[in-house]
Amino acid sequence: MDGLLVGIDLCDEYTQMSCPDEEKTWTIPTVICRNKNVDEWYVGEEAYAHTLKGDGIIVDKLVNLAMRDGTATLGEVRYGGKELLYLYLERVIKLPKEEYKKEEIGQVVFAVKKLEPKLNHMLRECMVRMGIPEERVQVISHSEGFIYYILSQKKEIWNNTVGMFDLAEVGLRYYEMKVQRGMKKITVVAEYEDLEEWFNLDILKSPSGGRLADKILTACAERMMARKAYSSVFLTGKGFSNQDWAKGLMKFLCTKRKVFMEQGLFARGAACRAAEDPEGKSSSPFTCICDGRLKTTVSMNVLHRGQETNVTVAAAGDCWYDRVSVIDVIPDRQKTVDFIVTSADSKKKRMISIPLEGFPKRPDRTTRVQIRILFLDERTMEVTLQDRGFGELFPASGVQIRQEVML
Amino acid sequence: MSLLLCRQEHVKRPYFMEAMGVHLYSSQELSYVIYNHPLLVLEGFVDERLLTFLREELNQGFLALKLERWMKNGDNPDEALLIILQECDYYSMSEVGRFRQMTASLRKKHPADFKRMKADELFSLRQYGRAVELYQELLAYPPGEYVDDLFFAKIWNNLGSCYGRMFQTEKAFEAFENSYRKMEQDEVLERLYHLSRIDERLVLSDELAGEITEQKKKTWNQRMEKAREKARGAEQMKELEALFHQDPVKRLEGEAELVYRWKQEYRNMA
Repeated sequence: MDGLLVGIDLCDEYTQMSCPDEEKTWTIPTVICRNKNVDEWYVGEEAYAHTLKGDGIIVDKLVNLAMRDGTATLGEVRYGGKELLYLYLERVIKLPKEEYKKEEIGQVVFAVKKLEPKLNHMLRECMVRMGIPEERVQVISHSEGFIYYILSQKKEIWNNTVGMFDLAEVGLRYYEMKVQRGMKKITVVAEYEDLEEWFNLDILKSPSGGRLADKILTACAERMMARKAYSSVFLTGKGFSNQDWAKGLMKFLCTKRKVFMEQGLFARGAACRAAEDPEGKSSSPFTCICDGRLKTTVSMNVLHRGQETNVTVAAAGDCWYDRVSVIDVIPDRQKTVDFIVTSADSKKKRMISIPLEGFPKRPDRTTRVQIRILFLDERTMEVTLQDRGFGELFPASGVQIRQEVML
Repeated sequence: MSLLLCRQEHVKRPYFMEAMGVHLYSSQELSYVIYNHPLLVLEGFVDERLLTFLREELNQGFLALKLERWMKNGDNPDEALLIILQECDYYSMSEVGRFRQMTASLRKKHPADFKRMKADELFSLRQYGRAVELYQELLAYPPGEYVDDLFFAKIWNNLGSCYGRMFQTEKAFEAFENSYRKMEQDEVLERLYHLSRIDERLVLSDELAGEITEQKKKTWNQRMEKAREKARGAEQMKELEALFHQDPVKRLEGEAELVYRWKQEYRNMA
């Protein structure tokens, strides 16, 4: 495919964009401004410039605004948050298009801090409105972006545990990634923790503030990384755009470890994801267990062609937010629908049984049950069992059981 | 105990099972009908129409091809049904084995008995019109060792029941009269008596009326009253009464819907 492959790290504060195998990374404040006099829109730094000039009205925190269905009035017109996000993305995505002189988008992957179904749908809708087919749009979490970026590096970088501090304007987050081998497919597990030790980045402007910040982060790193073998540590986020203030931290981190400063890491990771499967069809060569992905496998034992078979309804590593499974079964002397939940890490198995309460009594094997499974979050599965009857021989009753299952 | 995994079958044009008056939407339904109603499928069931359904709707091209070959070879006719049951994967191998035995024993039946059983099956499925056709064919059988007076009495009686259920009381009365003449069974006389009470046009001949004693009349009247009482308390009657208590608009809508349903049911059974 010749279309442009783009990775976009979309946050309320900034947007970073990167294309695979390209050095350039765009960092743009996530703001949009409308000219007071004419119907013209500006994004990023240009938006700030027009606001300072006084001929534009600016709106920031566009992701948040869209997520809470908020509105903003610009030039006596009220705009919905989703509309503003669309206008913003429309302009932002033009940058790589113009830079690499490609009009068609081959694959666009968004990396977001908190993966929510609503945001996923919204971003997909925005892209479809721009004429990008939905199958060419993916939304992943920062954790997944981290995984993809790290795995695109040399093996020695991720031989052992990889740690990362993301010091942003709005928080401090510690990520950790491990590669588990010896399974059918390599499994990569990434987790993160929002740290309470976050400080306002303005303190870095003064030497004393810098020293304090260094002490805080060093203590934090000592606590998080104690007694673990790391192959590398990454530092990202606006706070690490200059590391002169973090001498103590660097001294601690650089002991027997490789330390890398990397800006635009999530956007680069998203770009790697876009490059991995530009057609958007094949499955990943490794299983990701991270934010936005299931940590457990849900399966069922069914009879198929006379043999007991285990059918996977949702596998560990699947995206939970767009995973919907629908299968039809016919109970044979069975009054329950049973699921087997297997955790990816411990391989412990748990049986979950949902009784077919309220289903009409019919001769054996004459009730078709439609099982619909979706996930409300990584740990909550919603199961809907619907009586589909047995054609005109035993018409459906319309009985439906809906149950939330904690995984 | 298990769950059978259903194959994905996106049937747009279901198969109409004429003998039962139902549409079939899946391979499981097809298997169920074959297994549970062998009498209805043992003759002429596997035809081009069924093959088209298997091929185009159930996406069972391979099975259709197998059956096509079987049709050309003209082998054991029951084998085709066994092939369908095996390929559709709804019944286990042991159940398919039982079906084989069942069909073999049905094939050993006297042709008249086979046809009677088939007609009775249609009656039990409320397919009275189709059952009547078979009962009438049976009445044309030449009397013999198996086809004796008792056999004809049963056929006339069943024919009468079919007509009765289709509200064709005159034909029902005539059929019961013929049955009674063959074997003079009390239960048939009782049916004639009840019909004569339900429909004033139907009058028992002096000969038949003379055979009904006061005691019999009393017992039968009690039974009729009980049946009427049961009918009055039926769920359908309650629904009907509730409908008549609704406001005129809803009542009209409900009536139209009900009449439509009755018509459909009647057309299906007749």
